[in-house]
Amino acid sequence: MSVAISIQGVSKDFRIPGSKRRLRAVDNLNLEIDQASIFGLLGPNGSGKSTTIKMALGLIRPSEGRCEILGKSSLEPSARMGIGYLPEAPYFQRFLTGRELLRYFGKLSGLPNSNLQDRVDMLLAKVGLDDAGDRRVGGYSKGMLQRIGLAQAMIGDPEILILDEPTAGVDPIGAADIASIIRELRDEGRTVLLCSHLLSQVETICDRAAIMVKGKLALEGSVDSLTSTSEWSSICIDGLTTEGREKLEALAEEAGFEISTPRRSLEELFLELSKRGGDRK
Amino acid sequence: MSKKSDRLPWSPGRMLVIASNTFREAVRMKLFLAMTGLAICALASSFLFREFNFGSSELKFITDFGFGGMTVFGSALAIIVTAQLFLGEIEHRTAMTLLAKPVYRSEFVLGKFMGVWITVACFIGMLTLCLVLALWMRESSIRLEYPEEFERGQGLVQYGGIVWFSLAQVFRIGILCSLVILFSTYATSSLFAMVMGVLVWIVGQLQHIATEVGQAVESLALKAVYGFAGFVLPNFHLFDVGEGLAMGEALPISVVGKLLIYGVLYSIFYLAVATVSFNRREL
Repeated sequence: MSVAISIQGVSKDFRIPGSKRRLRAVDNLNLEIDQASIFGLLGPNGSGKSTTIKMALGLIRPSEGRCEILGKSSLEPSARMGIGYLPEAPYFQRFLTGRELLRYFGKLSGLPNSNLQDRVDMLLAKVGLDDAGDRRVGGYSKGMLQRIGLAQAMIGDPEILILDEPTAGVDPIGAADIASIIRELRDEGRTVLLCSHLLSQVETICDRAAIMVKGKLALEGSVDSLTSTSEWSSICIDGLTTEGREKLEALAEEAGFEISTPRRSLEELFLELSKRGGDRK
Repeated sequence: MSKKSDRLPWSPGRMLVIASNTFREAVRMKLFLAMTGLAICALASSFLFREFNFGSSELKFITDFGFGGMTVFGSALAIIVTAQLFLGEIEHRTAMTLLAKPVYRSEFVLGKFMGVWITVACFIGMLTLCLVLALWMRESSIRLEYPEEFERGQGLVQYGGIVWFSLAQVFRIGILCSLVILFSTYATSSLFAMVMGVLVWIVGQLQHIATEVGQAVESLALKAVYGFAGFVLPNFHLFDVGEGLAMGEALPISVVGKLLIYGVLYSIFYLAVATVSFNRREL
């Protein structure tokens, strides 16, 4: 599988105003995100996720290392031909209607006028805003802003989508719709980099995930491998009845074993790592 | 899925998309409508105050009023709208979404400039139309009162000159817009960019004095400082060429041409520096 986003030895230092000291927001980060996958980037506030995303988008320059998008330096505008981005708590030009906003970003993404109208209509319908397309964005609710933000991220038909908290402020039904759109995007062969604090959502839709703590990569792997625990083994039994389970539990107890669910949630893992400052042991 | 070329060509089309969006935002701002209304009211009020023309001719009084409104309100509009529309994109983080698209920062800077400049040009265009209309109305009534003054068929007002003067003001304000954009590329608040814009406008109005002082001083170091300031800062006083237009004096086209070249060169210079500065800015 080829790599969509490659982050190699990237560090980012920020100058602290009024001081000669520098703050290291990201420290020697190495990440490779495969094409046609959903990758979750997790971390507590201030862990360097947003800085990493900004470097991947070429909005800020890494102090060290290199970010590549589909093999091109992220600092090259041509690399952004293949990216769609939904920022956290998106704020768009309030004076535009939803339709005008999509047309604007569509033109900037290089869509020809002939395709633009159809694509705008299709995306408005996809994110459930076909009735609100002619209303000004300034009057949109938080959830509607997320939806129009997702549509603008998809307008240029990008191969990679970077979504920062795409379901923040969206009701549960809307969040499920967005999750289903994200899965659809992956199934179409696109790559999605997802930043979210909704760990249960990341756990259910992501193929791989990474947890950043204090600017460093604390853990990275497939969601299955991250949530399984080495001390536990699982046996899958088809058609197990309550009676059968009781018998098994009795047998296991007799032999000194414990029967339980052999998984921990991503949330447990996240909290554990965050408390330890990224230390896995 | 989208096809990619190795290097994205610089696109005037994308710049124009940003410019047209900036223009749309500017004209939908209440400030634009308020300033336009205020300027037209100020011009209309010159009819009320024409009795107080302080000895100068009535038509000249109206012309001066119109030119004053054009310069003052046009400059104020340029400073406020440029700072708000450029820094507003950064403060509201809409620039992040925009620059995450395949857009060069230079396209963003030039697009913003074009959008604001076209807005101010429209504002000046509207004021020019109002001024010409006001002068024509007054001149027509004078023509009826004193037909002997117009026996040779010549009008009192040089309407062509007024249009040329207005065009020169568009370029004067273009310099101001490019300067405010330059300040906005590194400012962290709109207020700072606006204050710097006002300061530069004042300095630009007085720049010719610094040049004269520079020629008079003997110290080579001071001469160099004044010379550098005279080169880096624009001389807005050069654009005050409308003095005799209401008295029948023509505005030579060569003067207007020189002013347009002056305006274009200074605007290009400031926008080039602004692009370099904005390329270094981290969003």
